[in-house]
Amino acid sequence: MVSGSRLERLLRQGEFVVCGEMSPPQGADKAPILKKCEYFRGYVDAVNLTDNQTAIVRMSSIVSSFFVLEGGCEPIMQMTCRDRNRLAQQSDLLGAYAIGIRNVLCLTGDYQTFGNQGDAKGVFDLDSVQLIHTVADMNRGRLLSGDELKPPPAFFIGGAANPFAEPLEMRIIRLEKKVAAGVHFIQTQPVFDWSRFEKWMSAVRDVGLDEKVFIIVGVMPVRSAKALLYMRDEVPGMSIPDECIKRMESAQDPKEEGIRMCVETMQRLRNTPGVRGIHIMPVMWESITPRLVEEAGLLPRPEPLSIEETSPETAETS
Amino acid sequence: MSKFTEAIAEFTEKHPTLYRCVLLGENMFKKAIFGCQDCGQCVLSYNAFVCCMRCPKQMRNGPCGGTRANGRCEVYPNRPCIWWLIYKRAKWMGRAAKLKKYHVPVDRRLEHTSAWMNMFAGRILPLDLSKELREIELPKKEPPPKW
Repeated sequence: MVSGSRLERLLRQGEFVVCGEMSPPQGADKAPILKKCEYFRGYVDAVNLTDNQTAIVRMSSIVSSFFVLEGGCEPIMQMTCRDRNRLAQQSDLLGAYAIGIRNVLCLTGDYQTFGNQGDAKGVFDLDSVQLIHTVADMNRGRLLSGDELKPPPAFFIGGAANPFAEPLEMRIIRLEKKVAAGVHFIQTQPVFDWSRFEKWMSAVRDVGLDEKVFIIVGVMPVRSAKALLYMRDEVPGMSIPDECIKRMESAQDPKEEGIRMCVETMQRLRNTPGVRGIHIMPVMWESITPRLVEEAGLLPRPEPLSIEETSPETAETS
Repeated sequence: MSKFTEAIAEFTEKHPTLYRCVLLGENMFKKAIFGCQDCGQCVLSYNAFVCCMRCPKQMRNGPCGGTRANGRCEVYPNRPCIWWLIYKRAKWMGRAAKLKKYHVPVDRRLEHTSAWMNMFAGRILPLDLSKELREIELPKKEPPPKW
């Protein structure tokens, strides 16, 4: 056991976890966060808080994570390398731990020109693998400078993986690097293209990475065929097969069809070896999360054992 | 590196004109052939001689998640993804194993200094083509003076 967070305890107990995702508000009020927490409390085990997703300014992910704690859910704070240099990253991590955040997802971040302030300077002082290594080092009580941390934080460290981008072998090499750097769990891009996902997953199993790291796979409910087309054409690194688009186009009620498609994916992932959880990414449609979790038969969410109750084997740090 | 190379680096760094000439020579060669970005801590030998610092995000440890299906960069669709190039070239040269090396964060003090002299002085890993990847604990050395 590293951090003792709810997410970590559930994963180490062998439970199939469900994560949600929330975009912090574009405004100086915490009320929208607390309201969205109602869609997550009791339905998911942890919620991702995006860090200026697609390079569009929103409330800071650290502060939003704090409000999510206040709202009774467990946050997974995302941290990108785009907006901060290594000094800011380390000091923000210390502050985040001190206010009770235990899960951190280390990302490189979308390039600044994808947002609406493309004239900004991207920092990219570290990359995501180096950030993971930095957090792992901080867990061991050491800053990048070599200075000792007293007391050190104990983060449950996450990283991202994209099973759909080419070339496949390079993706596995990068995942291996992340594991070597000290990542504990991995969240992936949403699955639409099953054949490609199966290929990636079997490559991951072949090198035994599913044993070393908890793999939480993304799913995304879509409301229209247009959304799928947008993702296929505008979001790099996404693979949307034509049959998905056809299915959405020919549906009587695209919204319902989107939900059904997402639930089917969730049920299929539930039975895929090596997959340890689901990460639901309803972009600006957080209110659908309870229905998805319920229809996929993942309710009620299990309660984790306390740290003392956890058996020594599962408590071992990996 | 050896005492001899360290002496060369020390001598060069003491003489601004000589150092500038070395830097100019290195830049002319590396910029023309590899599109060098002057980070001062060259990893070309690990990356099949494609400079990874040309990536908009300066990824040193592999591609970001945005590589397009046709191998183009997510930021500049008319450019190839640098890591796509590195992978293809490393495969062709039989150096794919070298891509597994973890690269430590860039020492920004070394930017715009001579990577060759930094290598000679023992500030960065030597360009070693013959041996397997090794984890070398580098001695903490002062960055070179910037002329």
